Amino acid sequence: MNWQLMWDSLPRMLGGMGLTLQLIGGSLALGAVVAFAVALLRLSGNRPVEWIAGAYVFVFRGTPLLVQIFLIYYGLGQFEFVRDSILWPVLREPMWCAILALTLNTGAYTSEVLRGAILSVPQGQIEAARACGMSRALAFRRIVLPVAVRQMLPAYGNEVILMVKASSLASTITLMEITGIARRMIAQTFAVFELFIVAGAIYLILNFVASRLIKYAEWRLTPYLRARA
Amino acid sequence: MHRHPPVSDTASAAVVVEDLHKRFGELEVLKGVSLTAREGDVITLIGSSGSGKSTLLRCINMLEIPDEGRIVIGGEAIGLKKARGGRVTVPADTRQVERIRTKLGMVFQSFNLWTHMTILQNVIEAPIHVLGVPRLEAVERARMLLDKVGILAKADSYPVQLSGGQQQRAAIARALAMQPKVMLFDEPTSALDPELVGEVLRVIRQLADEGNTMILVTHEMGFAREVASKVVFLHQGRIEEEGAPDKVLTNPDSDRVRQFLSRHLSGAA
Repeated sequence: MNWQLMWDSLPRMLGGMGLTLQLIGGSLALGAVVAFAVALLRLSGNRPVEWIAGAYVFVFRGTPLLVQIFLIYYGLGQFEFVRDSILWPVLREPMWCAILALTLNTGAYTSEVLRGAILSVPQGQIEAARACGMSRALAFRRIVLPVAVRQMLPAYGNEVILMVKASSLASTITLMEITGIARRMIAQTFAVFELFIVAGAIYLILNFVASRLIKYAEWRLTPYLRARA
Repeated sequence: MHRHPPVSDTASAAVVVEDLHKRFGELEVLKGVSLTAREGDVITLIGSSGSGKSTLLRCINMLEIPDEGRIVIGGEAIGLKKARGGRVTVPADTRQVERIRTKLGMVFQSFNLWTHMTILQNVIEAPIHVLGVPRLEAVERARMLLDKVGILAKADSYPVQLSGGQQQRAAIARALAMQPKVMLFDEPTSALDPELVGEVLRVIRQLADEGNTMILVTHEMGFAREVASKVVFLHQGRIEEEGAPDKVLTNPDSDRVRQFLSRHLSGAA
């Protein structure tokens, strides 16, 4: 074990942190928007719309993220109409391809988590809101969504942790985030074990922080659960 | 002193229900029920479970949509129309239903407080977001109401921290905060431990004494006799007997009511 090498690799490895955080932050933020929209569509009561949203979830949950990344980065460019479209400046960038794949993936998972949470809001609380004269939209905004979001936090924390790890797949399409840098350094030094240990440790720390943040959000948003004790 | 000003015209009654029918699939729960509540009336709906009394109450504020019949609240008829080729009835104007609901305070058997809000937040929520009452005014009124139902000290607690009786009193305060014309109670004490029933009934009795118009579904016969101006006995979706509580609850014409009372009056006082 070359401890010196591990120590010396740290600054360079941490140089990829910014990109890793951008990938995670960008795809989680966009994924939340997608998840919200898809969850609403799946609960819209309109059969064709529900079916399309359901098909999206089925496809993106049912196929490997790596395959999705390759399809978007390598696959889309084969089509002339994609290269000619106004989206091409975005789709030819590996960064945007990675964020797009991660977004669509987490959007599919999170929409299911959110949908389940919305359905689990007690009917009586919704009835009480309607009985006060709230419109469906107002009851959704003031009662259903706040309860559902709190309900989904533990499961969403899981999803955030998965995304932190999934961001490492971006290294397969030339992105020099933490894993990408580790792989390049390994190609130069052949110190596979040492350098992947360092990379793994960085992800571990990232996830430690992420899980603490989620725990804190849970704690802040659910004083009524604390109160029960 | 009369609590019930003489009203001849149904248009000026607080609640008028005419020939209400409601089916759940094949089961016809209401088979033509009519009911009038004048201002200041306290009407209790009694009957066995499945007699349709809760459904009738829930139709009045459109939590259930009746299949046929007419509902008039404060002189305003709720518009209904047929949809999906005449197979279902829906409100003609959801805005109208929402507006009318603000005039009908509803208290549920299972309280249905919003668990993520404090008691105070529960009470100010609808006045602020539905009626547009300024926050300070809503809070002031909420505190007054919580004081009235005896749980002002719990204003900043969450529903889970309260006993069932306290939660139900909070729910009553929440309904009162809308300054409703009519209060609807759907078995307000049925989910409570026996020793907590009294504190809720006391609050409801006080509201009755203050002249509020109320319609209650209840199994508390003793309470019904004390506060009601009229008792309505439902049986299998029809009104079997109605009238003054002394008459219906002590000397009913109907054998069914008699049987029902012999099962329910024992122990109630």
